Amino acid sequence: MSRANLPSMAWLNIWRNRRRTLLTLSSIAFGVMLAILFTGLGDQNWREMIDLAARLGGGHVSIQNAEYLDSPTLRNSVRGSAKLREQALRDAEVLRAVTRISGQIMLSTAGQSYGAGFIGLNPGDEDVQTLSLIDAIDEGEMLTSSRGNQIILGRQLAQNLNVRLKSKVVYTLTDPKGEIIYGVARVSGIVTTGAPTVDSGLSILPIDTLRENLGMAEGEGTQIALFLKDHREADRVAARLAGGLAKDLAILPWHRTQPELAGFIAMKVAGAQLMEMIILVLVAAGIFNTLFVSVMERLREFGIMLAIGFSPVTLFALVMLESLWLGLVGLVGAVIVTAAPYYYFSTKGIDISDQLGLTGTEVAGVALTSVMRVGIYPENALIIALAALTGTLLSAVYPAWQAGRVAPAESIRLV
Amino acid sequence: MDVKEGATASTSVSADGQTGADGNAIVELESVTKVYHQGAVDVFALRGLSLSIKKGEFSALSGPSGSGKTTALNLIGALDSPSEGSIRLEGKSLASLGRRELSRIRRDRIGFVFQAYNLMPVLTAYENAETVLRLQGIDPQERRDRVMALLADVGLEGMEDRLPGALSGGQQQRVAIARAIASNPAIVLADEPTANVDSETAEHLLDIMQKLSRTRGVTFLFSTHDPRVMDRASRIIRIVDGRIADDS
Repeated sequence: MSRANLPSMAWLNIWRNRRRTLLTLSSIAFGVMLAILFTGLGDQNWREMIDLAARLGGGHVSIQNAEYLDSPTLRNSVRGSAKLREQALRDAEVLRAVTRISGQIMLSTAGQSYGAGFIGLNPGDEDVQTLSLIDAIDEGEMLTSSRGNQIILGRQLAQNLNVRLKSKVVYTLTDPKGEIIYGVARVSGIVTTGAPTVDSGLSILPIDTLRENLGMAEGEGTQIALFLKDHREADRVAARLAGGLAKDLAILPWHRTQPELAGFIAMKVAGAQLMEMIILVLVAAGIFNTLFVSVMERLREFGIMLAIGFSPVTLFALVMLESLWLGLVGLVGAVIVTAAPYYYFSTKGIDISDQLGLTGTEVAGVALTSVMRVGIYPENALIIALAALTGTLLSAVYPAWQAGRVAPAESIRLV
Repeated sequence: MDVKEGATASTSVSADGQTGADGNAIVELESVTKVYHQGAVDVFALRGLSLSIKKGEFSALSGPSGSGKTTALNLIGALDSPSEGSIRLEGKSLASLGRRELSRIRRDRIGFVFQAYNLMPVLTAYENAETVLRLQGIDPQERRDRVMALLADVGLEGMEDRLPGALSGGQQQRVAIARAIASNPAIVLADEPTANVDSETAEHLLDIMQKLSRTRGVTFLFSTHDPRVMDRASRIIRIVDGRIADDS
């Protein structure tokens, strides 16, 4: 079968200088590999942080009183949460929906008093999918009922109060009417997350006991936390469910309820994207150089081709096809060189516990994981591949244009 | 070799049925001047050159180096444009044509044979010869028939799958000749086609080109210093300092 067609000729042409082509292909492959690993690192780690934050607070999407965001008091509550949860669970993206009460609490023992935050929940409704703290209980156990006198404390908070398991703790709250109420609980579990803010400032109480003490109705809470299959759907889910809500309620995606975390992640993502742009520009510059030199070396050949009947457009297309082949083969090379490191970093990860130290590091109350793994979203991998291919093609435009503009009479005279 | 063979070829019946005996011009140059501007200096490569090439001719442009032979060939081949004057190919003025139309003219009506063969190194002899037919959109079977016949005519049967690197200089030039006439062009322009080959090979090449001129009615115009080419030409146009010094 004849190879005198443009795609075959382009393919054969790129292998005329095997070394140069292999160098160009390796720059594409390694450039794409770096972009995939950087992006995968970000995708996985931000996903984990967002999920962790969601499981610590108001979910990926939070249904709450319209006033609650600006004035997070117990007065701004949500009633009839059972019906709202049912409504939310009808959305295909919503996996779980739980009602919680959260606020500020004063905890006291004989010798100590400390302020903290509290989450009131029904342990029957919660599991590791909705509450990350369950995995972090390293002494005692999770609450066993939505009623009773159990309390779970953060490790540092327990130390500050000088309490152990089964110790008695008195808690003081302000109810929705502004009255101060008291309760007594026994420490049933101690949790260590690694996030200093959480470990020194969190307590968990049974929700029905709290409702009784606070004079709240059955089903009343400060938010309904919705957990999604994919946190990236938060805005769309919130928009879909908003239409069915009463006017005194608001439905907020996680980045509205956790603006600090959202800001941190946005900044990191922007930084990573800038880094990837720089990588791709450097790769594109290398490809441009390769193609430009290759065109300049072949000016006489292009002059001859014009003489025997190739049109300028055909020569342009030939060089663009050479670039396309480089891009496609480069991407195949990228898959090959990326596979092993990607597998390693997605399973074993990078252990940065030395950098984090014993006290841990947190952002907006969310502990940074000590082992960073890669886990790229497929669509981001596709975007990187398309960006690499597009960059390759764009790099070729000027050299291809030069090939088509060759003056045949002058170029044929070149030696 | 009988010099008159070339003259006989110009009156033979060509592959498309036309004869050269009626004097129809394939190429007409009228008062063509070509000036190259090199900084402050103007170099006159051609000065008011007028010339007519008829169908079936086996002609040669001769003259010392720098006389304007290659320039004349480039202008006739639509590779360049004159500074003054007009050039007509088969009655059509080249000046009125845009880049795309000129490409088409070069593809369909003009064949080139260069001094340095200039085959595409990544394509086989067959693929090089069929390139123009592909560009013309000729269907694969017809391409195959024409190219195989041409390669046989130039004595390269059995070598169609060889790359240029595996062919001798003379063999490569034969492929170039096959490529040049594959599209049944109005004229084949050959710029020093025997310059890079030995004497025996040069004679063989000339035999082939003369035979093609005779059997297929191909019009050849050479630019040459080679006395062997001039011996075979039916007409020698001598150019000196950009002007025709002699035409016989």
